Amino acid sequence: MGGEPLSARELAEKFFGHVEAGEVNEILGMMTPDATVSLVPLNRHGPMAADGASYLRELARAFPDLLVRVRRLFVTADNTAVAEITIDGTQADNFLAVANQEKQVNLDQAWMLTFTPDDRISAVIAYWDQNQLYRRLGVKRLDQITITAG
Amino acid sequence: MTTVALPAGPGTTPREDRAEATVRAFFAAYRAHDVEGMVELCAEGAGFRYVPFEVRSRQRVLYGEGRVRTVGKVIWTTLIDAFPDLTNAVTSLRADPDGNVAAEAGIGGTQARDFGIIECTGGRYELPHLFLFHVTGDGLIDDIVGYWDNVGWKKQLGCLEID
Repeated sequence: MGGEPLSARELAEKFFGHVEAGEVNEILGMMTPDATVSLVPLNRHGPMAADGASYLRELARAFPDLLVRVRRLFVTADNTAVAEITIDGTQADNFLAVANQEKQVNLDQAWMLTFTPDDRISAVIAYWDQNQLYRRLGVKRLDQITITAG
Repeated sequence: MTTVALPAGPGTTPREDRAEATVRAFFAAYRAHDVEGMVELCAEGAGFRYVPFEVRSRQRVLYGEGRVRTVGKVIWTTLIDAFPDLTNAVTSLRADPDGNVAAEAGIGGTQARDFGIIECTGGRYELPHLFLFHVTGDGLIDDIVGYWDNVGWKKQLGCLEID
């Protein structure tokens, strides 16, 4: 049964729904084969199928109760969806080398998803403050990421 | 650092063009350290939020959130004072027909004074930022949100404390 094609806005909401559910294969299914990702605070820039998928799988494993709230969403003239989101979750496994202390985390982020004319995502760029994330996970020093406060 | 020439987006409208022009003027004023000029490009009561800006003291946490003419102006002035050669280069600019603008910019400078918990060692930093603006139909900014990574900033300046 055919339907109206989803708008970039609706597709972006679908993307974040998959992030919340940890559905990385579904996210990759929304991408062009050569889609790129820039996770700016991690200095990871590469293929979405490798760098992006790896990050999203680690996020899903470490925060199985993850909630993603889209706070602002607009679509620019070049068909890029720009979203401010807040992620919430309780740490249940090591994450980005930070040992699990079962900390509750909420973190504001901004993502840009660029869509092709046939509604595939060709580029993903994400910004957040890794210092805020470390603080919420109980890290005290940047040279001791794996050693957390008691 | 120089401004990168950016092509106009496909199918842009006068509202988008005007919003982008306002944002370009904002960054030009920032490069010129013209804080009054930056403020004049903003509507009275314009909102301001620098998301990573959290200053912890014993009693409370101060957030970089409020109004351009109060919180924003103070932060910009303090930054320029601490980094007297502070500059920026806009690397991407995207607008929608409702006045929303996303601007990526590299910002950098050489530290000459302490800034928050970052003690001055004379270090230099360059850091990618994402700014989200809303620009009114009259071409005034009425909301600014900024994102960047403080870990990258602190490490470049030799600060390894989280707080």
